[in-house]
Amino acid sequence: MSMLTDSNQIIISTHNLNKKFGGIVAAKDVNLSVNTGEFRCLIGPNGAGKSTLFSLLCGIERADSGEIRILNKEVTKLKPFQRIKLGLGLKFQTNRAFQSLSIKDNLSISNNKIQVMDNEIAEERYQLALSEFKLKSEGAKLARELPHNMLQWLEITMILASFPKIVLLDEPTAGMSVEETLFTGSVLKRLNATGLTIIVVEHDMQFVKDVANKITVLHEGEIFSEGTAEEVSNSEEVKNIYLGRD
Amino acid sequence: MKHLLNLIDGDKDIGRGNKFWAGFFLVLICFFLYPTFVSSFRASNTAFYLLNIPMGFGLCLIWGYCGILSFGHVAYYGLAGYAYGIIAGNLLGNSWGPILGVLGGLVVCTIISGIFGYFVFYSRIQKWIIPILTLVFTLLLETFFVQTSGYQWRVGRVLLGGFNGMTNIPFFQIGTFEFEGYSFYYYCLVIVLVLFFGLRILVNSKFGQIVIGIREDELRTEMLGYDIRFLQCVTFIISANLAGISGLLYVQWGNYITPSQMGILQAALPVIWCAVGGRNSFIAVIFATIVLNWLSFTLSSQGNQYALVIIGTLLVITMVFFPRGIVVMIFEKMQKIR
Repeated sequence: MSMLTDSNQIIISTHNLNKKFGGIVAAKDVNLSVNTGEFRCLIGPNGAGKSTLFSLLCGIERADSGEIRILNKEVTKLKPFQRIKLGLGLKFQTNRAFQSLSIKDNLSISNNKIQVMDNEIAEERYQLALSEFKLKSEGAKLARELPHNMLQWLEITMILASFPKIVLLDEPTAGMSVEETLFTGSVLKRLNATGLTIIVVEHDMQFVKDVANKITVLHEGEIFSEGTAEEVSNSEEVKNIYLGRD
Repeated sequence: MKHLLNLIDGDKDIGRGNKFWAGFFLVLICFFLYPTFVSSFRASNTAFYLLNIPMGFGLCLIWGYCGILSFGHVAYYGLAGYAYGIIAGNLLGNSWGPILGVLGGLVVCTIISGIFGYFVFYSRIQKWIIPILTLVFTLLLETFFVQTSGYQWRVGRVLLGGFNGMTNIPFFQIGTFEFEGYSFYYYCLVIVLVLFFGLRILVNSKFGQIVIGIREDELRTEMLGYDIRFLQCVTFIISANLAGISGLLYVQWGNYITPSQMGILQAALPVIWCAVGGRNSFIAVIFATIVLNWLSFTLSSQGNQYALVIIGTLLVITMVFFPRGIVVMIFEKMQKIR
């Protein structure tokens, strides 16, 4: 598979992003920037604002203030589908494959080919997921008949079917066994190796250490720390917030 | 051509494969031969059952496939009928009048449903409110047309007619040939057939798949990069036009229209046809519309005052025991036995 070469170019970024739900601060002055081809993991305790940040990036929630840029284009006021068309793909925290439709239909609906460039490589990524997650042979099966791990893989593949440039995965391995988690990580790493930018929200630290180029730690809506897996796991402050120590 | 045939034979409606189509065409031949065995009057009565099918299709598309229940599709039925009456009535004697009336009726449906759909879908109104809004809209139209009695409510030389409605609406004609009796029956049959195949193609196409995706999960579909508000609006306009086609056929059949055609009793009927037959299937809607209209017509013509009560009871029984529709569930049982 060919490699994408324009790394070190910021593909998605936020500037002083803020969001409050009543008195709850979900995002506070979030300045996040992710480079092309990066595998970024967002971690943090429950309620840290990880999923909200995904919702803000995709436009499901509107930011109170701040700016979001995708591929150097200001998208803060764009509707969700307009942002997706720029090359974004989102896997929700709760699986949202179309339960009453077949795998084939799920993938066919998702096949939106929103990306006009790099179609060949995007097709390769899609085919890779399709064969690795063994979805091709199960095409006629209804999504609701699939076991949990297959459903998660189906939703990941659905996103790849739309030929995105950036993939946001909210807890892609939730509810999976250790083997399935390892396998999912290895496939995602292979997809990332083709130049696909992947941002993942995860709680499984072993998975995060295995796959991430860089980790962002969120705490109470703020970016608390950023660094490599080693830097973050050695940080006493990060350990404190995870363990609830002052 | 092969692609189109594959779409017609797609899995988004019940009935696929050679056996189904053999049976379908056998029944179709019976429908084509039917007028040779009955009087022109009876053929015309049967045409009344057929002319309601497009409205059933419209509701099937918006409710069964897109997941939005419209309780006021008769609004477009009535609007198209009135628009046809006004245009064709004013062009009486001109052979182009009825054709322009048809076009005018569809344009009115498109504009009104487009405006209504825009406000409903782009303002992100919750789904459960839409049946109420659509019903209120049709009742408003009914109320408006009821008070249009008197000579001041005249468009050109056509009177709207208030409660008594608009009368003397011309038949549909092409050149000098007027469609009535037998020819009107065939005219309705061909329209139903064309719409049936067209809609099978539509729901099995990419557009249909996305519409089904919207029904299943709006946010998921939007997050795949689709402008779901626009697609809901387009689907609503198509379905409103289908109801409009029924309205056009109705006024061409009976040569009159009254505001009661947009009333609450009429509004409930297409919902009953779809629910009893199966709202996810055009073939089920054809079956249910013909049978229920025949049942209603037969009961009413025999002096039974409880026709609507009986039809309503059938709806309740269906919803309790056959939630996906009687025709659909019978069809599924037959497939399992096979």
